[in-house]
Amino acid sequence: MFKKLIEESTGKSPWLFHINAGSCNGCDIELVSVLTPRYDAERLGFKLAGTPRHADIVVVTGPVTQQSLNRVLRTIEQVPEPRCIVTMGSCPQSGNVFRGSYAIAGPLSKYVHVDVDVAGCTPKPEAVIDGLVKATEILREKRRAMK
Amino acid sequence: MFSLAFLQTALLYLGYILIFPGFLFCFVIGLLLCGIDRKAVARMQKRVGPPILQPFYDFFKLCGKETIVPAAANRTTFMLAPLVGLAALVVIQLFIPVFNFRVFRNLPEVADIIVILYLLLIPAVSVMLGGAATGSPYAGVGLSREMVTVLAVELPLVLVLLSVAKTVGNALGNGLVFSLSGIVDFQAAHGSLIGRVSMIPAALAMLLIIPGETGNHPFDAAEAETEICEGLLAEYSGAPLGIYKLSHAVKMLTLTSLFVALFLGGIGTGVEHLVAAIGLTGGFAAALSLILQVLILVLLCIVLTLVTISFVHAVTARLKIEQLFKYYWTVVTGLALISLVLAWYGY
Repeated sequence: MFKKLIEESTGKSPWLFHINAGSCNGCDIELVSVLTPRYDAERLGFKLAGTPRHADIVVVTGPVTQQSLNRVLRTIEQVPEPRCIVTMGSCPQSGNVFRGSYAIAGPLSKYVHVDVDVAGCTPKPEAVIDGLVKATEILREKRRAMK
Repeated sequence: MFSLAFLQTALLYLGYILIFPGFLFCFVIGLLLCGIDRKAVARMQKRVGPPILQPFYDFFKLCGKETIVPAAANRTTFMLAPLVGLAALVVIQLFIPVFNFRVFRNLPEVADIIVILYLLLIPAVSVMLGGAATGSPYAGVGLSREMVTVLAVELPLVLVLLSVAKTVGNALGNGLVFSLSGIVDFQAAHGSLIGRVSMIPAALAMLLIIPGETGNHPFDAAEAETEICEGLLAEYSGAPLGIYKLSHAVKMLTLTSLFVALFLGGIGTGVEHLVAAIGLTGGFAAALSLILQVLILVLLCIVLTLVTISFVHAVTARLKIEQLFKYYWTVVTGLALISLVLAWYGY
């Protein structure tokens, strides 16, 4: 019973940690609009955490530059299991307009397993919320698989 | 070996500690207060807000997460500090009377306000200990700020308690009354203390102390999540973090019910006569009046949380640590001092 309770709660209380991996700031502003009164993702339990140790879902924006690659990977490692990685915008998924640049180390899926990709430049808040809800379902699956 | 009476008393006290004024009660009502607070703040900001049960989901989720102990941390302190803080809060809840109901009815001198004052420090110290044990620089900044907050809040709190003790002592003609059950008994006989002129500034000061003591919004410089990554809790994850979040919620219950005991103690004490007036007697009547008193206490705690924590959260921005200190040692201490002087001259 206790295990089921934890599993249910895991799906209902996902805390986000946001990493900017060289983003143009467009996606970052759009993520904030998801959390603020207009779209209010807190009604689904989403909350922006201050440190990776508190997070369940890591949201990565930006094309993962050479400079940021190492920091992104180290930050993701600090998130306790079960965790989900969501890329936001086209940049971390494909490189977008920066594809082929010498400064870009992405796409992110070359280095870590990415659970959900939300494409768009920038994605609409509705699409972001949809992607995050899909991530919570994956989070619940991962919790079920633990122990 | 063990007599039946001893076994019965032991079981009764175990029930007190684990279920009614103790752990289970604190757990449920504390998290409920926290959920109501989050919902209310959201509604004041024109948001839909999380469900009322959100803190329960958060707590159980954190219980199921991996706990990472940082390489630089002292493992024992890191794991034990949250438990000590929570235990201290549960002990305070045992000492706070629920109107006519008291755990230590036979031992009136076992815990006066001064013991509660000391116990209230332990959760803050446990957060500081646990945070310092992680070795994180964010925790270092949070540690110094938390210490300043505790110092700032403690002085007006002592003055408020002193003026309450003096008012009751004056009225009964025996100096200072520090016994919390004595204060509630006095209010049961002579009406709530909030009705006295000298107690109004003290009650206001206490209302301002509640968000400072719990570390809620305008006074949360110690765990500013956008600035120093929740300070002392920066390195915590999993179940220990859940216990810290739980103690934060229980602290809201502890302080609001302390306010009820100090200033509104006369409200629920008439319930026993009311139940007797309907014509009920015996064990059933006692149980019914206890349930009614608990309900009144919970309702008052919810109202106090909405006024002192949610409303203040929604209309203010975070204070800097030196502004916080100055505010408490001028405005709030001033209010408490006015009350103390009035009480000394018998108003």
